[in-house]
Amino acid sequence: MTGLAGGASCLAVATMLLGTSPVVGQSQLSPARVTSDTPQYCLHLLDQVSEMVRVAEAPPPQEVMALSSEGQRMCDQGLTRGGILRLRRALVLMLRQEGSP
Amino acid sequence: MLLARPIAVIEGLWPRRGSTGRLLRSAGFRFALVYAVLLALSAAALAMFLWWATAGLLDRQTEAAIQADAQSLSERFTAGRIPALILTIDDRLTQNVEDDAIYLLVDPSGRRVAGNLEHWPAGAAQSGGWYELPIERAGTRSMALVQSFTLPDGYRLLVGRDAKVRAQLRHLLTDALLWALLVVVVMASIGALVVRSLFRRTLANVSATAAAIASGDFTQRVRLSGRGDEFDQLAETINDMLDRIGRLMEGVREVSNAIAHDLRTPITRARARLEDASLHATTANDLRAAIERATADLDGIVAVFQALLRIAEIEAGSRRSAFAPVDLAPLLSDVAELYGAVAEEKGIMLVLDAPATLPAYGDRELIQQAVANLVDNAVKFSPAESTVRLSAEATPGGLDVAVSDQGPGIPDGDRVRAAERFFRGESARNTPGSGLGLALVQAVAHLHGGSLRLADAGPGLVAVLSLPNHEQAVPAG
Repeated sequence: MTGLAGGASCLAVATMLLGTSPVVGQSQLSPARVTSDTPQYCLHLLDQVSEMVRVAEAPPPQEVMALSSEGQRMCDQGLTRGGILRLRRALVLMLRQEGSP
Repeated sequence: MLLARPIAVIEGLWPRRGSTGRLLRSAGFRFALVYAVLLALSAAALAMFLWWATAGLLDRQTEAAIQADAQSLSERFTAGRIPALILTIDDRLTQNVEDDAIYLLVDPSGRRVAGNLEHWPAGAAQSGGWYELPIERAGTRSMALVQSFTLPDGYRLLVGRDAKVRAQLRHLLTDALLWALLVVVVMASIGALVVRSLFRRTLANVSATAAAIASGDFTQRVRLSGRGDEFDQLAETINDMLDRIGRLMEGVREVSNAIAHDLRTPITRARARLEDASLHATTANDLRAAIERATADLDGIVAVFQALLRIAEIEAGSRRSAFAPVDLAPLLSDVAELYGAVAEEKGIMLVLDAPATLPAYGDRELIQQAVANLVDNAVKFSPAESTVRLSAEATPGGLDVAVSDQGPGIPDGDRVRAAERFFRGESARNTPGSGLGLALVQAVAHLHGGSLRLADAGPGLVAVLSLPNHEQAVPAG
């Protein structure tokens, strides 16, 4: 009797676990590598922040500079994703400053 | 040995092939099965809702974000073709504070033009198709949900989101649900066993009582738990039924004994007369006289049987179809007139006290016979120079017909049984009769939904036949 009950529950769990999207690339030895969290990308972002600061009409906010320097230091220390996150936030702040009247 | 024990346990829990059919026919097993299945279905429904409201919601949000992103990129591509698309992808990636965006734009040769994926994943070929893609971020493996698009000029675009949080949540939920599944199986097993045990224990009580009664012990009754629940109500109903069956059986036994006892005397007398005549009759007249006396004895026996059959017919209720409105006033007058002469012969005064009309509803013939029986009894047991009163009156619930006499009456102890078949009190031992008169009156009363009450008239007996109104008349059970 409990086998049937367990079967019903199993069916429900299995139904939920089965995704609707096909899984690709599982047969490959290595998955697709994401290139936006590498030290090179970190340098790319740092260049972009520096360029935006350089061409900006108004002096950049202190927060931008702090995030930029902190992101650079983290990338230098190998904390790439944390550094990239701060540089992205600095970029977004710069874009907002440019967009504001 | 370690492996052998669980197998033994399983064999103990599950029936061998021969007993499977018997188990499936067991109501207790079916109840337990229904309980287990309902519990499992409830748990499954709850699990599905939880999944839909958590992981499912995250999935839907991710898909919505990808679709919105893809729509926006499509508009940029329409406006500025590939260069605009490249710039937009770069901008999106540089501003992706959540660090979850996945883009890849490749040219017709499969070379990456923009985006943050190293290469186009094999298998993601269908334009507009959704794929779960294994990815590697900073040395950590994860999964991404992506949608593939084929652009003009052989370019291909992949838009997606890192599904790491989603995967973690799904993993946590899966673990939790698998544990919940285990708990459900255990709870379903325990619950099913408890339900089965309760069912069997409840039935065992009834079954043991039934078995005891079947083996001849009619004193056994179903035990009550005292909770007053449905099982107690069932037990009370069964016990009431057994009490009634017991009373009926006792009645049948008493009637059988009474028939044997009451008929033995006239049959023996008739036999003795016939035997005596065959041995000693010297003339044809002697022989004829003996046969006539024996015939009279046998007529009495036939009358007893006819009375018994009459009572049985009344109790069966078949006469109810003959019910009709009837005025009891002339009926009572007829009875009084019929027995007036007999009473007068015995020096008894029969007094009728009834209204001019007395509407009732029932079988006229049976009511007349019942009243006649009551008056016959009263006249039979009344001493000379006494009065028998036949009275009737309408009551709020119907009407009462009362017959009172000044005879010896019936002692309190015997009054309850006086309407039983063949019951004859001490004072009636030497009076002619079969002991069926009051039984017939009571049967008529019950047939009409009424009652027969016997009370002390001080001195004498008063018998009251109560008949309900037509609207209130209930068939006797």
